[in-house]
Amino acid sequence: MNQMPMTSENVTTMPTKNTKITARDVQVYYGDTHAIKDVDVDIEDRTVTAFIGPSGCGKSTFLRCLNRMNDTIDICRVEGAIKIDNEDIYDKKVDPVQLRAKVGMVFQKPNPFPKSIYDNIAYGPRIHGLAKSKADLDEIVEKSLRRGAIWDEVKDRLHAPGTGLSGGQQQRLCIARAVATEPEVLLMDEPCSALDPIATDQVEDLIDELRSQYSVVIVTHSMQQAARVSQKTAFFHLGNLVEYGETDQIFTNPKDPRTESYISGRIG
Amino acid sequence: MTDVTNTPVPSGPEKSRGSSLYALDKRTKRRNAAEARFKAYGIAAVCVGLAFLVILLVSIVRNGIPAFTQTFVELPIYLNEEKLDPDGNRDPAAMSKVSTFGYNPLIEDALVQLMADNGIETDMDGPTLRKMLSSSVPAQVRDYTLANPDQVGETVTFRVLASSRVDGYMKGRVQREDLERDKNLDAAHLDIVDQLVDAGAVERTFNWAFITGADASESRPEQAGIGVSMIGSFFMMIVVLVLALPIGVAASIYLEEFAAKNRFTDLIEVNISNLAAVPSIVFGILGLAVFIQFGGLPQSAPLVGGLVLTLMTLPTIIISTRASLKAVPPSIRDAALGVGASKTQAVFHHVLPLAMPGILTGTIIGLAQALGETAPLLLIGMVGYIATNYPEGIVDGFLAPNSAMPAQIYEWAKRADPAYYERAWGGIIVLLLFLMTMNIIAIILRRRFERRW
Repeated sequence: MNQMPMTSENVTTMPTKNTKITARDVQVYYGDTHAIKDVDVDIEDRTVTAFIGPSGCGKSTFLRCLNRMNDTIDICRVEGAIKIDNEDIYDKKVDPVQLRAKVGMVFQKPNPFPKSIYDNIAYGPRIHGLAKSKADLDEIVEKSLRRGAIWDEVKDRLHAPGTGLSGGQQQRLCIARAVATEPEVLLMDEPCSALDPIATDQVEDLIDELRSQYSVVIVTHSMQQAARVSQKTAFFHLGNLVEYGETDQIFTNPKDPRTESYISGRIG
Repeated sequence: MTDVTNTPVPSGPEKSRGSSLYALDKRTKRRNAAEARFKAYGIAAVCVGLAFLVILLVSIVRNGIPAFTQTFVELPIYLNEEKLDPDGNRDPAAMSKVSTFGYNPLIEDALVQLMADNGIETDMDGPTLRKMLSSSVPAQVRDYTLANPDQVGETVTFRVLASSRVDGYMKGRVQREDLERDKNLDAAHLDIVDQLVDAGAVERTFNWAFITGADASESRPEQAGIGVSMIGSFFMMIVVLVLALPIGVAASIYLEEFAAKNRFTDLIEVNISNLAAVPSIVFGILGLAVFIQFGGLPQSAPLVGGLVLTLMTLPTIIISTRASLKAVPPSIRDAALGVGASKTQAVFHHVLPLAMPGILTGTIIGLAQALGETAPLLLIGMVGYIATNYPEGIVDGFLAPNSAMPAQIYEWAKRADPAYYERAWGGIIVLLLFLMTMNIIAIILRRRFERRW
């Protein structure tokens, strides 16, 4: 862990002004398997942070810790402290439902509800009571679809089923659905792995735009994608956070030999 | 070019290494033969299945259809005032003192008159002629007379049931030689029947009473109907639906979506699967012990029958519901949880609607199974009980002793008279129609709830 740019002490005493998420000494166990080991990381607000690493290195697991999606897995156990805006999200007082409204998530495979495009977007605001009237809701739907960069493609068929869209459109719909609940952090678990290059390009542009309002954390298999969209990159290997820093620095001048081997294609 | 010709590649089509794509090698031939053989087995199996189905349906229809028609006699009866109301003041109390036996002479006179009117010569007297009619006729005439006292002294034409032997003759089941040792009817009667058919006084028509009526005593198959036991089955199905569907679906949702996976839930799971395989008669004796002996509920009541069948149906519903919940892609749950839905919201807003077609199919299959079940009813007294009246109202429908369709069919099949054998087949047709209706409802509901994703 001595490659870490900051030690845990100086962060806890003096958190950086725009740090959104701080994780300290995070351990995750799946039954007897120790999947995440001693991860310390600070994720900044209004920044795209990429998690890279070979398959099974724990990057998705760690991502899912950030909105407690791992709670749904019985054998999964999380230790350590993860704070968003200095509030421990694993505190007993925290209801994961409220947390997930604040920390939106986009999944690997586009997973729109088998409902209309409108209902896909409106579902979150409805259950959180964000809209007082039908007009409010219409406005939220339009705003979210615009933010998802898909409004122009679907504005004439809002009541067509969301599952009838193409893969790339579905993924942007899912992003629009995630931003509809006004989250502060957006987690993306390999959002482009099921998409073709053109759709990937669209989603990447979208991620870059989303940076102005959200703290975006993206897990990706593609190092080019991490280089293209992120400002910060974290490299995971065998459950350890090996290196975390500015994306440029990670890709041009990695400090850890393992990072260097991975980005040059020797391991992974 | 010369360089190219030097290479070992020949200019013509290449003779590849010893094998041509046109000639099948041994392995391929064997594999194809195995495939063809397997297809043939499959087709044979399907054909055997279809053949049995056709045999079954043909024999059910052929044996059962006659039960839906019945032979009736148009009989003008003079309601003799001297016999029915000697005082002449139409006092219902006095008139009801005349028992059904008191009506026999009137019917006998009417039969003799019928012979004379149609020019049929016979040396049979009234009582002998009356053998052609069902023994339900006096009661029918008496009921009519008590309901319409002003008709006394008039001649009223009744449409009365012929006896089951005459009915059997009309349906080709009874031949003259069959009657040689039969005390109920003589061959001479059949001659009369032939003449009455020619005269139009006897005819075989569709018999609604078979579908709507109640069971009758052993000696009057012509009067028996399946209607009352159909009502019993109907009330039982309501109990099963109202109890088994919510309990089963709630249990499956809890087990599938909420319960922790530990040894205890594993045990429950194994036991549910085992319960589905428990012989239904075991549920019957459980029902007898729990609901009737311990719970004090009335015997033979559709409520108890429904409770027992609920126990029997629950495992089927739970297993199919859990299977359809499992079939909903986990990505839908993730999506719902990801936008901040609670677990309950995720299940009820997204998972359950997608699982609905499967749940409905399972439920209807469970109900259909319960509808055709006889064994558990044996033990709670719903077999062999002959309900002769319709239940009076809904509460009575649940609590008054009744039978059920399969129990009624079993009862008829047990009886000696061949006329009842025919009614058992007819009852099976009604039961199958019931089941078919339920399956069609299941298919329609399935279509309606089915969604693509």
